[in-house]
Amino acid sequence: MKQQGFLDIINPVKDKMYRLALRLLVSKEAAEDATQDVILKLWNQKHKLKDYTNLEAFAMTVTKNYCLDELKAKKNNNLRIVHQNYEHNAISPQRGLELKDELNWINGIVSELPEQQKIVFQLRDIEQLEFEEIMEITNMKSTAVRVALSRARKKIRESLTKKHNYGIAKN
Amino acid sequence: MELQKIKDLLEKYEAGETSLAEEKKLREHFKKNEVPDSLKSYQLIFGFSEIESKESYEKEIELPSTKQDNRYLWTAIAASLILVVGLFFFQNKPLEMSDSNLGTIQDKEEALQKSMEALKMVSELMNEGKEDLIYLKEFNNTKNKFIKTE
Repeated sequence: MKQQGFLDIINPVKDKMYRLALRLLVSKEAAEDATQDVILKLWNQKHKLKDYTNLEAFAMTVTKNYCLDELKAKKNNNLRIVHQNYEHNAISPQRGLELKDELNWINGIVSELPEQQKIVFQLRDIEQLEFEEIMEITNMKSTAVRVALSRARKKIRESLTKKHNYGIAKN
Repeated sequence: MELQKIKDLLEKYEAGETSLAEEKKLREHFKKNEVPDSLKSYQLIFGFSEIESKESYEKEIELPSTKQDNRYLWTAIAASLILVVGLFFFQNKPLEMSDSNLGTIQDKEEALQKSMEALKMVSELMNEGKEDLIYLKEFNNTKNKFIKTE
């Protein structure tokens, strides 16, 4: 496979890979490094890539496994990942600071979820992938995906509602 | 979409049972319409997913192995250039040398001496060879026995 052909495959996927890495590793630098490393890994195995029918899913699987390994290594070294770099440049200014605050809040809730739920939530609600693809990427059964997704969605919504009620009660 | 339908879909959504198309409908609805306070959390969640999906990988993708290819390419070009230039220079050199540089001695005295030495060496070697031919006289002796000369 030539370099250009490889880039043609990777370019549409690289943002998704990066967002998944960002969801799991939280730090932008770590997510960028992870994405670069995974792309390199794929490039080094480019002769094998022909064998995969769904390259996108394969790239995402490699990214997921890479990030989980990273997290495991960090945990073994007793390092806590400090993550306070939630930035959302995409928000239009008229929607205001309050929304930005809420989004940071949600980001915080999501980061508290178990890894599996995080991944499934990312793939379904943010990347909007079909269940078949998610099953392929996560190597989970259909019911397991749905259960993880349901738990993640409920948890996020409940946390948000709790926060709002708390806010109202306080006033 | 009426409120009840939305609520039903949201319930399905939280159970992880909605299809992508249904989720899209929900997203659209929450994006375009004001919703009751009880559903505000969903609006935030959908807004959150939309914004999160716009994050992109800005860095250049670096593929070192192709760089290496390029490096070899330039090495190859440099090597062949050196080879060509080298051949061009060294092809002319040996011809010049055979024409002009025979180790000719310029000083006359020395030249004479060297030539004498060389000639002497040749004659010495010749004499040495001649000594081995002495037995050829026997041919003459035998011949004389048969052919009488006057």
